Amino acid sequence: MAGQSGTGTSATRRLGVLVILMLATLALCGLWFSAEDVVQGSTVRIMYVHVPSIWTAYIAFGLTALCSAVYLSGKNRSLAWDRVAGASGEIGVLFVAVSLVTGSMWGRLTWGTYWVWDARLTSTAFLFITYVGYLAVRQLGGTHRQRARRSSVLALLAILEIPLVHFSVTLWRSLHQEASVANPNAKVALDGLMLFSLFLGLIAFTMLFVWLVLHRQRAMMLEDAFSDRGLDVAIAARRNEAGA
Amino acid sequence: MDLTPRTVTEPGAQPPARKRRWLPMLVVVGALLGGGVVVTKFLTSAIDYYCNVDEVGVRSGCSGERRMRVQGVVEQNSVKHADGGTTFTLDFNKKTLKVAYSGDPGGVFQECIPIIAHGRVVNGVFESDRIEVKHSNQYVQKNAKRIDQANKEAAACSVLKG
Repeated sequence: MAGQSGTGTSATRRLGVLVILMLATLALCGLWFSAEDVVQGSTVRIMYVHVPSIWTAYIAFGLTALCSAVYLSGKNRSLAWDRVAGASGEIGVLFVAVSLVTGSMWGRLTWGTYWVWDARLTSTAFLFITYVGYLAVRQLGGTHRQRARRSSVLALLAILEIPLVHFSVTLWRSLHQEASVANPNAKVALDGLMLFSLFLGLIAFTMLFVWLVLHRQRAMMLEDAFSDRGLDVAIAARRNEAGA
Repeated sequence: MDLTPRTVTEPGAQPPARKRRWLPMLVVVGALLGGGVVVTKFLTSAIDYYCNVDEVGVRSGCSGERRMRVQGVVEQNSVKHADGGTTFTLDFNKKTLKVAYSGDPGGVFQECIPIIAHGRVVNGVFESDRIEVKHSNQYVQKNAKRIDQANKEAAACSVLKG
């Protein structure tokens, strides 16, 4: 990274431009080209952000668990895996928050209430709190390897919540509707351009996630390097004192 | 050997106290407490969020006298507004329940749509003070050119009823 200011490379810059174009296309399709729903009217447009947000959060937490498993099982235990896990976890929490906020707005307009303690909302709130806890555990101090070890174990436990959240609407009686696409009946319940806009949102948000993770894990690498440099300086100072 | 990076101090001065990371600790404690609250809510409210109309007075936990949530589809041509209230019939699995709601449900409430009403049964009528519209997982484009208004309403009704 010598001679480089920031965490970007030509590849991430190109990806960033592509993400902006995808999000702009999503905005056009979601707000302009796709029709209103016969029951919900324009409220349906919230879905093009709400569903991709939670989808991206699932991917993020899946990546966190995968990298944590690789870190714990690997021979050399490279901290790069831990940094990707941490970066992915942070961005996952952000996307769950977006999903909760947009879902709450949709709920007010459709259900008539911002929040209910039904199976889907309650399990999603639990998922959010769990990963906020995961991020806090990462900041508790100790060496990088201590951080990596304890957070990897937690990530492998936390990922078990994802199927619970996704299938909560079929396992229990919930106010939240069942999935319109990834449902057990394998029946897609969305009309043409609505389905297209939803998939566009899934792709755009996934690309945004990749872009954010690339930058964040590089920033974490710099933070770790800065921290290690502080340790090197301290060792050198003590050696000087001992030699004096 | 203490290798914590440090600033130069005066000779004889006390060594700086070891910094504790209070904020992450507080967040961990907050997450544990919040998780406890959410799990409690899950066990008390979320597992069985509602009783279906055909279970009222039949299934355990769906007794008519206690306050509960009832789910069913608003029967076609049953909605009536009078004296600031709304009455309608809920239909589910060939069983019906008359509902008296203290107000206008508003929002996307309409006939043929599944809803959840909060309240209790009084003299055979479910007196409700809160209604939540349970949207199905089907999304249908509004298209005035495709069907006329009457057909559209009928189609929406059949789609929503499944």
